[in-house]
Amino acid sequence: MTRGTLIYIAQRLAIIVLTLLVVSFVVFVVVHALPGNAFISQRVHGRSLQLLLHEYGLDQPVLIQYWNFLKGAIHGDLGVSLYIRGEQVTPLVLRELSVSCELGGAALIVTIGVGMTFGVLAAIRQNTWVDYLLTSLAVVGYTVPSFVIAGLGIMIFANFLGSVTGGAIAYSPVWTGTYGTIGELWLPALSIGLYTSGQITRITRASMLEVIQQDYIRTARAKGLREWVVTLRHALRNALVPVISILGTTVVGILVGVLVIENIFGIPGLGKEFVESILQHDYNVTVGVFTIFALLIGLSNLAVDLIYTVVDPRIRY
Amino acid sequence: MTSGTPHLGGAAAGRHGPSRATLVISLLAVAAAAACGTTSGASTSSSSSSALASSQVLKFPVFQNPGTWDPGEADAEVDTEFMQNVFDNLWRFDDSLNIVPDIATAVPTAANGGVSSDGLTYTVHLNPNATFDNGDKVTAEDVLYSWDRAVALQGAYSSNLSAVAGYAAVQSASGSPPASTTGSPLNFQQSIENGLWGCFRGKGTAGATCNSSLEMSGLTAPDGLTGSTVQIKLANACGWCLAAWTLEGTTGAIVDENVIHNDPVNWWTKPSGKTDGMVGTGAYYLASFIPKQSMVFKAVKNWWGSPKPTLTEVDVDIKDPSALATSVAAWKQGSYGIVGYGGDSGNLDYPTIESIKGSAYSKDLLTQPKGRTTWLSFAIGYPKTGGPFVGESAAAVGLRKAMDLAVDKTGLATTVCHDLLCTAATGGVITKGLVGNLGDNQDPLAQYNPTEAKQLLKQYDPTGTLTADLTYSYNTGGLNDAVAEYLQNDWQTNLGIHVNLNPVGDASQFISNRLGGQYMMSRDGWQFDYNNPQDWYANLWGAFATAAGANTSGFDDPTYDSVLNQADAEPISQSLPLYDQLATILQQDVAYIPLYYSVGNFLIQPWVKGAGSNTGFDYYWDQISILSH
Repeated sequence: MTRGTLIYIAQRLAIIVLTLLVVSFVVFVVVHALPGNAFISQRVHGRSLQLLLHEYGLDQPVLIQYWNFLKGAIHGDLGVSLYIRGEQVTPLVLRELSVSCELGGAALIVTIGVGMTFGVLAAIRQNTWVDYLLTSLAVVGYTVPSFVIAGLGIMIFANFLGSVTGGAIAYSPVWTGTYGTIGELWLPALSIGLYTSGQITRITRASMLEVIQQDYIRTARAKGLREWVVTLRHALRNALVPVISILGTTVVGILVGVLVIENIFGIPGLGKEFVESILQHDYNVTVGVFTIFALLIGLSNLAVDLIYTVVDPRIRY
Repeated sequence: MTSGTPHLGGAAAGRHGPSRATLVISLLAVAAAAACGTTSGASTSSSSSSALASSQVLKFPVFQNPGTWDPGEADAEVDTEFMQNVFDNLWRFDDSLNIVPDIATAVPTAANGGVSSDGLTYTVHLNPNATFDNGDKVTAEDVLYSWDRAVALQGAYSSNLSAVAGYAAVQSASGSPPASTTGSPLNFQQSIENGLWGCFRGKGTAGATCNSSLEMSGLTAPDGLTGSTVQIKLANACGWCLAAWTLEGTTGAIVDENVIHNDPVNWWTKPSGKTDGMVGTGAYYLASFIPKQSMVFKAVKNWWGSPKPTLTEVDVDIKDPSALATSVAAWKQGSYGIVGYGGDSGNLDYPTIESIKGSAYSKDLLTQPKGRTTWLSFAIGYPKTGGPFVGESAAAVGLRKAMDLAVDKTGLATTVCHDLLCTAATGGVITKGLVGNLGDNQDPLAQYNPTEAKQLLKQYDPTGTLTADLTYSYNTGGLNDAVAEYLQNDWQTNLGIHVNLNPVGDASQFISNRLGGQYMMSRDGWQFDYNNPQDWYANLWGAFATAAGANTSGFDDPTYDSVLNQADAEPISQSLPLYDQLATILQQDVAYIPLYYSVGNFLIQPWVKGAGSNTGFDYYWDQISILSH
């Protein structure tokens, strides 16, 4: 790694830290400004409500509350949940993050695996039924939201197969333990991955079509290299640059998919927390979740930028 | 083509056919066999075989996270539904909501000497076998500690103990919690524990001091702290107290100071241990709790109470409400034994219930009226917001009545609830099945009379100016949106009045505003806590409700308060006619428009024996067993 690359990484990390500060502050202020709070109920109001607000420091000015939060956050302490009273937020969101990373990672494998395979096949079989089929599937995948794919998947693999086979062959929509099993993971991962893979298919196909017209591909074929060697070693590698350029946005798409899919399948990840914590006025959890999502997006974009240098040595920082 | 088909088929069979054809036939056969298997299996198990399954593990989802399982601070129904299996009170409600002994040996009455002749002193003898699941024996000091601590914490249900002498003094002594500088509550529970440790379990230990101002004067242990007799002296006669003290999972529950002392804030979040964690006296203990994911409860070995638990383990998945469909699918596959337990019975939506009713699973659907009533409140006592409905003038009462009579309550139950999710509230505010319900069609406000409604409107608002700008507010979600549109339509149709709808997205904000009298007309309701009319009439319209800032309508009537005080002091046999008088006062005043009683729906596998629910709560886990299936 060159010195320039290291400086680039340091600069990007500094920007990420600054981004996290801004995100956490904005989210903190906004969620505190929302009407209502985590404690109010038919039985908790008036004095008992004031006692709770006081006890949790929620009756202090919001800037002081943020400062208190920040002091803890610097030491890795995101405070306590207001909904599950007293529960520490940091271990909670870290555990949920690991679950979402598992799901997101699986979805990314589906995205890249399906997207690139379809894209390459469509390109090398251009204007054949294979091309038409795969590009059509890509369009369908790209236009059908992940929650629709998830709903169809549940109907087919859980409900229909379950009733037809008496549950002998069916998708079990019960997520067991923290990380579930592969049998439980595949459908949620497919629901997210099929949606995001559509874009990868189209980009890969277009990029491959451009590359396989190049002189050096003709040269490789003229040298007598086998077609798969030409395709994978010479064409695909060069076609990857534009694909990688959209990986950053793909990761964001997967994160968005995680938000929805975790709720549908009852997966105990960070995405489920995204909406739930806001609805429950669980301020510290909300700020923690948003900050972690901002961190993930920042780091994934940095990773994509660094991968450029591996795929295309001409790129230098 | 026709003639060729067999040939082609034959040719195909020659190449790939036998396997493909066989596969198709096999699949069909498997499908048919499986379908038959499902039917016969279901009927077998329903006719079943009362033999117990080898695995006695019950699994079900809940669609709400626990808030706190500390009985001194608990608030939500989902919490108390679990805590009733982990903690015990001195008494418990049986499945028919009767009060029966739990840790106490008897339900105190004047006849058995448990209640003094003036009704102010209760003497309670504790079951000598009662122990916490960590082995600590339950003695009088545990009762005194639990109740004193609950009052000092001033949680949602502390008022259940408000009649005990010294209640107000303890709340005053515990004061306000110190302001947190870290966002974490650390000091309040700790200071209360420090004050009580020297009074009870820590008495005599080095460094322990007793803050006697945190002890209610009305609670004593005549046989000593380690004895098994507790005396409860009341500041005033109380006919509802026994029911309130019996409400499980709340302030009447008995907790172990030995474990709370080690972590006064988060003790309840940890699995039960010898000196730490959520230790109770119930048939089950907390074995694992992963917040927002799952909880595991296990049966206490050699539990002191009865019936002895058959289920060895109860596994609960914590889900988001949006995971209902997948949870029902999992239930159909047999992965879950129940859907609807844990205070979530209302989560089964109409399409789900309808699809279940039209399927082979319909026999597994349990429908149970729940102790929850929804009505419309007028801001009677809030001149700034109440509009034409403020006060007791003939015009205000008449217009309230017009609005009431214009609503077809039976039609609402049919249209909005499809006669599945609710029933028309025709027996008063207290839900059907509870003490104090007036009986079907006994509430005059439940009548539907558009002709009279129109006459009243014409009489009291001939020009239409008073009712030109009316607004109905409600929190969105559940049935509320559909109910609001139904009301709007009825008023438009029967009175020619357009009522604006004000949907409020945030429920906590809605409750806060509603209790503050900020809405002219608002969705209102109550889920009963214990089976006594005081729970309704005092907490919603009485002077207590007003003082606590919980009187939605601002209704204030000295006669009502006087009768309420009298009723609250009498045992239920004598107080019921007085509570009925209160119902009449509210009806004559048209303080509300009755809408509906909620109905809970549960999916219960035929092999889950003993599961169910009553108006108030899910049946205890120690009644449930898994049949072989």
